[in-house]
Amino acid sequence: MIDDDWPTPMPRRGDVDRSGDYAVFAASPAPQTPGGAHQASATGSQMLEAPRRTRRGTSPLGWVGAGLLAVWLVAMPLTSTATQLAQNTQAMVMVLAVLGVNLATGYGGMISLGHGVFVAVGSFATAYAAADMGLPWAVSILAGAVLAGTLGAVVGLPALRIKGIYLALVTLGLAIVFQPLSKRFTAFTGGVSGRTVDAEMIAPTWFGTSRWSEGLYRYLICVAVVVMALWLVQQLVDSRPGRAMRAVRDDDTAAAVYGVNLTTNRLATFAASAALAGLAGALQVVLVPFASQESFPPQESLVLYATAVLGGLGSIWGSVLGVAIREAAAAAGSGLASIDGLGAISELFDLFDDERLLFGAALIVLTFVFPRGLASAIVGRARRRDA
Amino acid sequence: MEWQWDVLPQFAFNGLREGAVFAAVALALVLIFKATTLINFATGELAMLGAFLMYILNVEQGMWLWLSIVLAMLISAGIGAAVERALVRPFDPDDHLPVVLITLGLFLIVNAVAGDIWDYQLRPVNEPFGTFPSWAPSSQELKEVADGSISCVKVSSGNFVEATAGAADATTCELAGRTYWTILNANVDYRTLGTWVTLAVALAALFMVLGRTKAGLAFRAVSSSAESARLVGVNTGRTLGFGWALASVFGTLGAALVAPSLNGVNPNMMQFILIYALAGAALGGLDSLGGAIIGGIVVGLIKGVVVSWFFVQVMGWAFFSILQLATAFMLILVVLLFRPSGLFGTRRIERV
Repeated sequence: MIDDDWPTPMPRRGDVDRSGDYAVFAASPAPQTPGGAHQASATGSQMLEAPRRTRRGTSPLGWVGAGLLAVWLVAMPLTSTATQLAQNTQAMVMVLAVLGVNLATGYGGMISLGHGVFVAVGSFATAYAAADMGLPWAVSILAGAVLAGTLGAVVGLPALRIKGIYLALVTLGLAIVFQPLSKRFTAFTGGVSGRTVDAEMIAPTWFGTSRWSEGLYRYLICVAVVVMALWLVQQLVDSRPGRAMRAVRDDDTAAAVYGVNLTTNRLATFAASAALAGLAGALQVVLVPFASQESFPPQESLVLYATAVLGGLGSIWGSVLGVAIREAAAAAGSGLASIDGLGAISELFDLFDDERLLFGAALIVLTFVFPRGLASAIVGRARRRDA
Repeated sequence: MEWQWDVLPQFAFNGLREGAVFAAVALALVLIFKATTLINFATGELAMLGAFLMYILNVEQGMWLWLSIVLAMLISAGIGAAVERALVRPFDPDDHLPVVLITLGLFLIVNAVAGDIWDYQLRPVNEPFGTFPSWAPSSQELKEVADGSISCVKVSSGNFVEATAGAADATTCELAGRTYWTILNANVDYRTLGTWVTLAVALAALFMVLGRTKAGLAFRAVSSSAESARLVGVNTGRTLGFGWALASVFGTLGAALVAPSLNGVNPNMMQFILIYALAGAALGGLDSLGGAIIGGIVVGLIKGVVVSWFFVQVMGWAFFSILQLATAFMLILVVLLFRPSGLFGTRRIERV
């Protein structure tokens, strides 16, 4: 390694060091491809140092976003019917699955197009634990996350050697293979038509007994779990293992030279990201007592990946933003589809009542406009792509 | 454990037929990978679109089947080139992530649009290789019909498809002539032979194009080194568009040939085949055209002989019949883990 490969910029006085706060709306470079092996080695060399936090800047737009989020969190349950509440909560917990993709791809540099599989495993495991084994909900949810995480560690094994587009290929293969396979294990998955879950999370009586208050109870639990997971991931990526993770993403050779154990790091990253996806699946079962392989076609995994990318890889709030975009797009699409009486145009609009179509289109359009994710574009503080 | 040698040829022939289809789709993947080191994840969906074009022209519009297949291939070529021009060329070829996103977006869009237009029901298509011509001897067929072991039914458009014994219109089979040849005690369907012949013709045409035409020379130059090719005046963009067009042609051919075996076309029809084709392409080496063909055929044989014959018939492990897809997936994994360049691919040396 010659010196030219290490264009480490010397920090100047007055510079705000941001190597430690990747997370706050500052999108990091996307995962490395072999073409640009050393372009980000500057950050790689800084990452193992403890971050010198000076000031955590949140832009005005960030505050607006946080405000909107807070308003939504309070207003949504108050204005929803019991059914809408369950649906909206389901959408909300997908933040966890997207965060899982983000952790593997955005922070770990391992493209995963198969995270829908981990969501499914979390769902089925929780359903089995809660209904068939009669375990308490807290244990069942944990079981879902742990089982998905374990599977993630197994799937992560190939990621030790297979990288970049090849890993994308393998994980997409996993997503495609999973669905027909899951139809066969009827005891777990209920086969083709899925299974109902004969267990319900009951709110304590002082919480009210209406369907809505039951829903509110589950909503609050889900909010608590999601917030806790976001906080934990934030802590993780700011910690030493988190910096090591990003160093491995940017340049694994350099990271190994700095003493990072690549095997442990990659496996742990993948396991944690799969566990997050499994947690999302587990909460889905809490919200709607039904699990079916039909909810997890390969397209769903791709939509998860797309959501993570659209929101912004390497940014925790990007995952939240991604899910918000997903829901807004779905709502806008069905709104468009409900416009009738325009003849052929209405028929064209009907096409938009399909989340996958919208997401495919959004993916292409936004790849053209903001190749590095929406979060970076909104805040306008994209980290430099090429050092 | 009982070696059932007598049924082996049947499984082998079936495997070889499927292998030919996998080879065509694997070729579609490799044609794009070779030029751009990019895996087109939408290969299967674009091929599915081609199969639907064939369905529209043939079944809905009543065009002659072969003309509609060729037309579908040509239209797909146009679509492939257009996709390359509009969606892929604007991006830096060395930065894979945007283009991966584009092909994933295409995957979602094409699948969703096809699902919207044609829903997810299987739509029966006509068999391109229905029967031997009427002058072929058909005694074998009549005997089989008398046994009740095989029969044929007439579908609305006038072609014949194989059906189970005792079907309502079994007598039409006698008129149709036989649908298979008996080799080594195994029935080699006309469909099997036809698939092989069609693929062989298409491959001959491909290698003629690549070897004898200027566009083919440019394609080989760009896939060996895009920079050098550009330096000597090759229009790399147009050449890559040509590669995408060729790839779409082969994808559509594979989809059109496999559709009758799948009992029709469906927006999700190519997803499983994509896995087998990826396995074939990985096995042959992702940047070797010959490797893709051999890899695809070997994957077909593994599916037919190793899994369906050896594991299920000989060893009696019935559960393996549901693990065919998983076997292909494991093959991809093993190849990429232990020999990423496949059997015939170029070894890449990573400099750090």
